[in-house]
Amino acid sequence: MVQLDAAKWVNEYGDMLYRYALPRVNDSETAKDLVQETFLAAWRNYDNFKGEISEKNWLFTILKNKIIDHFRKASTRLTDNLPGIADDDPYFDEKDHWTTASAPRNWNVDTESLIHQKEFYEVLSKCKGKLKEIQNTVFTMKYLDGLESDDICKELNITASNYWVLIHRAKLQLRACLEKNWFLK
Amino acid sequence: MISCKEATNYISQKEEGRLSLRKRWQLWQHLAVCTFCKLFYHQNKTLMKNIPHLHEHEEAALSSRQKESLIAALEKNI
Repeated sequence: MVQLDAAKWVNEYGDMLYRYALPRVNDSETAKDLVQETFLAAWRNYDNFKGEISEKNWLFTILKNKIIDHFRKASTRLTDNLPGIADDDPYFDEKDHWTTASAPRNWNVDTESLIHQKEFYEVLSKCKGKLKEIQNTVFTMKYLDGLESDDICKELNITASNYWVLIHRAKLQLRACLEKNWFLK
Repeated sequence: MISCKEATNYISQKEEGRLSLRKRWQLWQHLAVCTFCKLFYHQNKTLMKNIPHLHEHEEAALSSRQKESLIAALEKNI
């Protein structure tokens, strides 16, 4: 039996795992719980750890699976009210033109350099936090983890048309939120 | 002419390489005359190009209290 040192693990890998989970689930309590579940699963299965990959990569593999499980659960919980999403549309009027309030405005700034300021990331996190959980899930799988839409649909058990509504609405909302709270602030 | 709502939908599909040639043509026609959608197109493109890399700036850390509770939870499970 290997002697495991809990404090060493938590101090060495805790923040790293937390930082990976947080932008994906957008909730610090959930991120912390996922890290805890990861450590516990690794702890219980340490005998199966063959050392073929590093301890760090092994922990990340477990965490990634935990995050996908979390997404799947969130999806079953949240796709129940999917049909309602398409109706509530603040961006376009009855003729499908932009409403005055939400028409994109010219930012008149050097967008790229503003994006690379540290504070932008904080605003982005807040804006992502305002997305519905299922929208954030789809957005994260697509843009943070680079999955193809077909695979996202399969993982979350949603239809392609659900996917397009969710990802598109997430992008409309993020752009609007960033315009208001960053680019034109 | 397609509507702004359709145009933005087409933009999302184009971004994932899922827009047919005919729809791409319709989109270009719309963008040629619609300032709002043209702004949307460029702003969205810049954002989506950069956002995937930004989470590497995440600096959040577990508090020492959270770490202690993690350690305690692990030790309980030996």
